[in-house]
Amino acid sequence: MQEHDNDNAPLFKKWSYWYVLVIAFLVLLIILFSLFTKKFA
Amino acid sequence: MNQLDWIVLIVTLSGIIAYGIYKSRTSHNLDGYFLSNRSLPWGLVLLSIMGTQASAITFLSAPGQAYTEGMGFVQYYFGLPIAMVVICIFFVPVYKRLKVYTAYEYLETRFDNKTRTLTSFLFLLQRGLSTGLSVLAPSIILSSLLGWDIYWTNIFMGGLLITYTITGGAKAVAYTQQLQLIIIFTGMFLAAYMVIQMLPGGIGFIDALKVSGKLGKLDVISTGITDKGVDWSGKYNLLTGIIGGFFLSLSYFGTDQSQVGRYLTARSLKQSRMGLIMNGFVKIPMQFFILLIGILVFTFYQFNKAPVFFNAKLVKKIENSSKRDSFYTLQENYDAVTLQKQAVIPQLVTAMDAKDKPVVNEKTIELRSLQNRADSMRTKVKAWVSSKEINGDSKDTDYIFLRFVVDHLPVGLVGLLIAIIFLASWGSIAAAINSLASCTMVDFHRRFTKKNETAESEYRLSKWYTLGWGVFCIIVAMFTYDIGNSLIEAVNILGSLFYGVILGVFVVALFMKRIKNGNAVFWAAVIAELIVLTVYILTKKGIFSMGFLWLNPIGVFGVIFFTLLLNQLWKKKKLPVVQEL
Repeated sequence: MQEHDNDNAPLFKKWSYWYVLVIAFLVLLIILFSLFTKKFA
Repeated sequence: MNQLDWIVLIVTLSGIIAYGIYKSRTSHNLDGYFLSNRSLPWGLVLLSIMGTQASAITFLSAPGQAYTEGMGFVQYYFGLPIAMVVICIFFVPVYKRLKVYTAYEYLETRFDNKTRTLTSFLFLLQRGLSTGLSVLAPSIILSSLLGWDIYWTNIFMGGLLITYTITGGAKAVAYTQQLQLIIIFTGMFLAAYMVIQMLPGGIGFIDALKVSGKLGKLDVISTGITDKGVDWSGKYNLLTGIIGGFFLSLSYFGTDQSQVGRYLTARSLKQSRMGLIMNGFVKIPMQFFILLIGILVFTFYQFNKAPVFFNAKLVKKIENSSKRDSFYTLQENYDAVTLQKQAVIPQLVTAMDAKDKPVVNEKTIELRSLQNRADSMRTKVKAWVSSKEINGDSKDTDYIFLRFVVDHLPVGLVGLLIAIIFLASWGSIAAAINSLASCTMVDFHRRFTKKNETAESEYRLSKWYTLGWGVFCIIVAMFTYDIGNSLIEAVNILGSLFYGVILGVFVVALFMKRIKNGNAVFWAAVIAELIVLTVYILTKKGIFSMGFLWLNPIGVFGVIFFTLLLNQLWKKKKLPVVQEL
């Protein structure tokens, strides 16, 4: 059965906030990995 | 394998098949069979996306990769979250609005039928062959390690999943992938926990990281920029990961039907987007965790006898060759080096805990020197393996993790981890076969047949196409088994040979609205594909050096450039645009 679901972003007002969050998370991971490399290498 | 391992293996696999068949009820039309009536929530879509991407190789190869080359491989996935965002903004709304079954249907709406047919054909070619190799790759490893017959392993690896893929289509694929991922991660967590438990007393998880870090295994980030400039030949660094990985992910998730077919099953645009966004969040940490297991296995082997070469089948070949005595001497020396390392590592850990820098430096140098000796011994064996007498593949990365599992993990867990290899394979192969059948049915059969089929007969025909592709993939696996382990890399390279061009066509379609000439795009795609193949052949012949991930941007920009060029030429010559009938 096909359900009609509104296409608004959940939790945020706009989808763009989700997109920024994904990219920010990527940047955070790269920073954390750099620190990890520095700490253990 | 122990009897208990066999029971765990058989129960797990039978359970998945039964669950797949149980979840098979769907409406008898293409919407039900290929898109699960566009009814799934984002959580299931996410797991289906993850289960499709993560094949057996992900769980076999990645820990081995970390063992031999360190954690740098994780950078390969850095382009993925950016690609998820681009797909959510530009690709998914178009697919959802047009209510397409396959991504390539959109290209007919935008350009013409031949552009749609060409891209769909490139997809079928690439995905059909690479799925065959995906059946074969884990089969080779399992048959080599456990002495199983390669033909039967191929049939079990590629054949059993066909039962539920045929009966339940996309719905059965999604539900089994959900259960498969739960089992896979449970098994991988248990394996990680067991490795930590098996480290000697006084060596904890952080100590394991410190030791492997001193041996250069924890260099997660490398920029790809050297004193001589950009390192274009580097396989995995920040630059190739973000740029090359972005194009590869954009093409794979945005235009490869095996993935597009997963998020088209979502009940709305919102659910598709959430599935993709969440994939952007979880993929890199998940890959980091799998690589970390490889690091733990590496640390484990610093305290335990490790095989100097992990592919047991090839070791047997060496033992039956003229190198037999030299090999035994070398394995003894290798064990002696391990013993020396066992003495040095606790001293290093104690010095690190006491922050005694001079001793840390001294012990690090000592440990590295021992590791270099061990590495050079492995290099020597690899040279023997690739010699004319043995004629084997010198890459044993994919055997490391499973060899560790079989040799050291407790009874029961071995069966579970071998089941995981099957489940991971089944998840990605089932999605691939489902998408191959959907393209064959929708882009070729439906498009070119003049007969008006009923929904029921299209549904039945789709089941036959699913069976046909399943059999095709097993045949590919059967006939290519002599190539050896290098085919694992071939799966990735095969993707890069075609993905860039397919993505290029989609980029022109989505972002260059002025281009309406289907002929220009079609011929640009043909020229770009020829360039990609030429570049690849030249790199294979050693004329110049370049990482295979760069083939993706070459394909994309090749299509864009030649489309613009041909479009201008068409305009200048005022050649008529051939209209499709």
